[in-house]
Amino acid sequence: MNKKEILKLAKGFRGRAKNCIRIARERVEKALQYSYRDRRNKKRDMRSLWIQSINAGTRQHGVNYGNFMHGLMKENIQLNRKVLSEISMHEPYSFRALVDISRNAFPGNKNVVLPTRKADVSINV
Amino acid sequence: MEAATVKQSVKLKKMAILCASTSTIFSSSERTSFGSLKKTIPSNQSSFLGFFPVAALSKPGSVRPTTLSFSKRDFRVCCQDLSLVPENQRWMFEESEADGPDIWNNTWYPKAKDHINTEKTWYVVDATDKILGRLASTISVHIRGKNLATYTPSVDMGAFVIVVNAEKVSVSGKKRTQKLYRRHSGRPGGMKVETFNQLQQRIPERIIEHAVRGMLPKGRLGRALFNHLKVYKGPDHPHDAQKPIELPIRDKRVQKQR
Repeated sequence: MNKKEILKLAKGFRGRAKNCIRIARERVEKALQYSYRDRRNKKRDMRSLWIQSINAGTRQHGVNYGNFMHGLMKENIQLNRKVLSEISMHEPYSFRALVDISRNAFPGNKNVVLPTRKADVSINV
Repeated sequence: MEAATVKQSVKLKKMAILCASTSTIFSSSERTSFGSLKKTIPSNQSSFLGFFPVAALSKPGSVRPTTLSFSKRDFRVCCQDLSLVPENQRWMFEESEADGPDIWNNTWYPKAKDHINTEKTWYVVDATDKILGRLASTISVHIRGKNLATYTPSVDMGAFVIVVNAEKVSVSGKKRTQKLYRRHSGRPGGMKVETFNQLQQRIPERIIEHAVRGMLPKGRLGRALFNHLKVYKGPDHPHDAQKPIELPIRDKRVQKQR
């Protein structure tokens, strides 16, 4: 009964782990542990991917992710990162409008001093 | 233009506040409806290229009480069949979305037609007097596709990069004589060490290839990405048919200071 369920869960595994119950049991236990952990990790990974996508999209318009989000927070635009990344992919004109809104709200540290002058680092707040 | 953007920001704020207020009402995590309510913003924007016409925006105010009351199940079958949507909500759906795949409620993953090799961009860079590491960093970003909003780590969405004048790449400091390139033949005592200078005399392309390979991901996909880098010794390259464009480098310190 349990053996049948385990071998059913072990489909697609490599080598003896899909056929022999002793090996399959270990591998299936590990697989279930990984899937438990990864159901939680998936949420983190997806958010990280959205942030990378938004970063790429805003840098095409000359603004980086941090300044962009700061500008949006200042304007109280509560679009989440998932939606922002989808907009940056599928609705480029709307995303451009959002970037402009953010740039107006927070111009960002345009005067980033090049590291050659180590004396003072001025950041526009 | 300024008035339009100000109006835009006000409307977006209003939309945001409306969305925030509805989220507190729908506190019982009805993600489908929330996602679709969020969808109303993009669908409005997309049809009018980012500028909100006042007519469409006057409707959310009037329709708001009815959208709160109708069942959230109606929204779940959206975009596939407009006939199931009540009459007063039809304005939220574009005709083009009605029969296509639902891009707003599903995770986008690149299809085969989104990354055909023959339609990728080709970039060309002249490596003369450019700092090796900074140049390699920009190249690897473009090869990997991290500068695109459609970046996917599991799919090769990047561009091709051609590097010419590879023997003229420069390094700062004393690296020209002190930077070591090591390789091992696998046998005991088989480590071979070369300096930057010696390798530049022998095989100058290998310097840039080594630098970029170290910055690309290691794995099957990384090895496939590495094949998108083409390095040449002289000033010309055989890829004129691909019409390469200039690689945009945003690093301010990539050019060697003379």
